[in-house]
Amino acid sequence: MAKNKTASQSVAFGQNISVKNANLWYGDFQAIKNISMEIPERQVTAFIGPSGCGKSTLLKCFNRMNDLVDGCRVEGEFRIGDADIYGKTDVNDLRRNVGMVFQKPNPFPMSVYDNIAYGPRTFGIRKRSELDHIVETSLKQAAMWEELKDRLNKSALGLSGGQQQRLCIARALAVAPKIILMDEPTSALDPISTGKIEELCDELTKSTTIVIVTHNMQQATRISHKTGFFLLGELVEFGNTDDIFTSPVDVRTERYITGRFG
Amino acid sequence: MTVHSTKTKEKIGKAVFAAAAIICVIAVVAIFAFLIYKSIPAFGKLGILEFMFGDHWSPDRLDTYDSPLSGTYGIFTMIVGTLAATSGALLIGGIVGYFTAVFLAFYCPARPKRILTSVIQVLAGIPSVVYGFFGIVFLLPMLSRIAPNNGSGLLATSIILGIMILPTVVSLSETGLEAVPRAYYEGSVAMGATHSETVFRIMTPAASSSITASLVLGIGRALGETMAVVMVAGNAPTYPNGLFGSFRVLTSNIVMEMGYAGEVQEGALVATGVVLLLFVLVVNLIFGAISGRKPGAVVGKRKERRLAKARCSRGIRIKDTIGALAHKLHAVKLGRGMAIGSGILTGAVLLLVIGFIFIKGLPYLLQNPSLIYGKYEFGSHNITILPAIVTTLYAVLISLLIAIPIGVMTAIFLNEYAKKENIFVRLIRSAIDILSGVPSIVYGLFGMITFVKIFGGSSNILAGALTVSIMLLPIVVRSTEESLKSVADAMREGSLALGAGKLRTIFKIVLPSALPGILSAIILSMGRVISESAPFLYTMGSVITAVPKGLFDSGATLAVALYQLSGEGWYMNQAYATAVVLIVIVLALNLLAQQCAARLGRKLKGETNGKK
Ligand SMILES: Nc1ncnc2c1ncn2[C@@H]1O[C@H](COP(=O)(O)OP(=O)(O)OP(=O)(O)O)[C@@H](O)[C@H]1O
Ligand SMILES: [Mg+2]
Repeated sequence: MAKNKTASQSVAFGQNISVKNANLWYGDFQAIKNISMEIPERQVTAFIGPSGCGKSTLLKCFNRMNDLVDGCRVEGEFRIGDADIYGKTDVNDLRRNVGMVFQKPNPFPMSVYDNIAYGPRTFGIRKRSELDHIVETSLKQAAMWEELKDRLNKSALGLSGGQQQRLCIARALAVAPKIILMDEPTSALDPISTGKIEELCDELTKSTTIVIVTHNMQQATRISHKTGFFLLGELVEFGNTDDIFTSPVDVRTERYITGRFG
Repeated sequence: MTVHSTKTKEKIGKAVFAAAAIICVIAVVAIFAFLIYKSIPAFGKLGILEFMFGDHWSPDRLDTYDSPLSGTYGIFTMIVGTLAATSGALLIGGIVGYFTAVFLAFYCPARPKRILTSVIQVLAGIPSVVYGFFGIVFLLPMLSRIAPNNGSGLLATSIILGIMILPTVVSLSETGLEAVPRAYYEGSVAMGATHSETVFRIMTPAASSSITASLVLGIGRALGETMAVVMVAGNAPTYPNGLFGSFRVLTSNIVMEMGYAGEVQEGALVATGVVLLLFVLVVNLIFGAISGRKPGAVVGKRKERRLAKARCSRGIRIKDTIGALAHKLHAVKLGRGMAIGSGILTGAVLLLVIGFIFIKGLPYLLQNPSLIYGKYEFGSHNITILPAIVTTLYAVLISLLIAIPIGVMTAIFLNEYAKKENIFVRLIRSAIDILSGVPSIVYGLFGMITFVKIFGGSSNILAGALTVSIMLLPIVVRSTEESLKSVADAMREGSLALGAGKLRTIFKIVLPSALPGILSAIILSMGRVISESAPFLYTMGSVITAVPKGLFDSGATLAVALYQLSGEGWYMNQAYATAVVLIVIVLALNLLAQQCAARLGRKLKGETNGKK
């Protein structure tokens, strides 16, 4: 038990992601084509590109959610810090360190408190005081403590969509991940909720690496330090967000960000 | 809880779920192996054709396989009887059921609709012995006024079976009718067609495949029904001769003679079961073909595509139809009348069955409450159903203890682990489909010759419970799987993405959300155990006099007790009262099921907690 609580120390997950010659197939269909990239630690990296170009697919490689897809085959090297995540790494341990926020908020049908305590409990934390502390810190980190502290025992399903999504972020934070993956986290939300989540991302880079998929160029320019542009399974261009949006090297990138993509 | 032990746990978990699923397959294999093993000598000795097409049945229980036969064993009269009774049931239950469905879908206002829908649920839950009993005490006396005999025969059987298949026909047809796109309706009405014209010319044809499927399922139900038929058919092994006159069906042949069968006779009865099973399997195949891949999904993909195609040409066809329609207004009016009449008739039937039995039985029960808790005294007429109540409790408890875990784990395996449709998974699914089609009397036959023999030769509670728990498996698996499917994948992903393992995800996230379905599986199973009698008669026993002291004692459940009491003729008051008790239990379970579903459904949506 005690050993498990410190399991994160057993493998040294860093905070940067390094991808070398990644290829991925869904059955016969190749969704990712020979991608290599270095995602820096404690920054926001944005993935942009037209629908179906493989952004989510690549994102899900980082916490091996692709393992759930039948007939999905991954090749290449994925490292988080020094850990080879498709090697000896335990997948649950990996996911604990690489959190994920989904496009549609997916709070569990239980109380706010239990939602956040779910992850810590998974890893063996049972003491109420300890859980209380984690719930409070996570909610504070997600800037929700004030609005939720009086309704911790209410069902999370009663929250608004924006609150639910931030709760999901808090839930991810509760296991102290080194990296958080976000797949279009604001696409189902109103502008105010979106703004709150963007602020949150900025705040979180103090301690975590964030990789975010977005269809919203403004969002990418507002919050990300690095941007990768994907097309048909390839990484066309990857660099500082400012450079990508002001002086893209590749003509396809330019066409996409100026909205002239057919 | 180290990484290593978690992995081991996951593996063990998966293995346990798979093992449960394998049990379902083993059950099917065992039943078929048993049927084949027991019937082949009989087919050999009697000759398949002589057995199937011989129309003389007079078994001699001293016949053995080693000596020349002195009895004759031909079941053709019963095959004809089965087909005749099924057709009669289809004629009555099919027509009334179809029009009731139309009524519910298109004519009934919301409130009465809710009532009628629960009426149909209740009709579905009433034990077959209660229908048989109603036949004996109400229908036969009525019919005897116009019949040359006591009223038993094809007409009575068809009416009772017709009532029994009503719920199946109504609920499936209604689902199909309501799945027809609203746009059809609007399109037709917009062209000036009336409501009824639209209903009968556009909506019902569009739902024809689900309506057919519902009728086929009704046929399956009628084919396999045993006890109710035994109680009103007369059971002489002759052809049905007109509307009245004693005849016998395949299922009742087994029930009538299984209790005292000799060697060859037993083989011939198992062979009867095989023939019956063939009929049922053919019907199931037809149903499967009509309703897409598997029972339950009535409006299949194929149908949707066809509907979409139809939508394109519908506009033109509507115009044509409406022209021709002016002449057929009468037919449409008749249809409307039939729909409304059938809806009312269905409600009235329930009222009649329940009302009649209550009026006759309730006063007796209230005046003689000791019927429920009294002690049986040998030689007196102080009947008590306490032993039957205790036996029923045993039966419910033990069969659920066996069927629920195995069924739920099988469902978990199918839904959570077996995403790929490989041979193993297909095997499990067909096993469950087959189990759900096996008529209950065949389970009884199987249990009698396997479990009863294993436990020392005389019927006992454990053997009965084991028998019926196999029968419950498909109910539990399907209901559970349905509710597992309704849990969004986003929930599973959310849990896995936090680093939780598969087992934790299943037990903490998926199962709690699926609880309503599992609860309803439990309630459905309880109802089934309480209302079944055919599988219990020769496995658990028919002793109504002594409270069983343990699992190896024999005992009659309430339903079996009702069969016994009504058969003997001089305990009619007690029989009425027993029927009242059965109906009350069924009604209570029904109510419970609805409450559970509603309450948990609300909780799932977070409404009880997050009101503010
Ligand atoms: N489970 C799957 N099985 C088969 N093919 C898949 C699967 N998931 C995605 N694909 C295919 O892989 C390609 C990349 O999909 P992916 O979801 O990564 O795109 P995306 O860039 O995230 O698109 P969007 O912006 O629409 O979310 C698409 O062509 C998609 O059809
Ligand atoms: Mg995507």
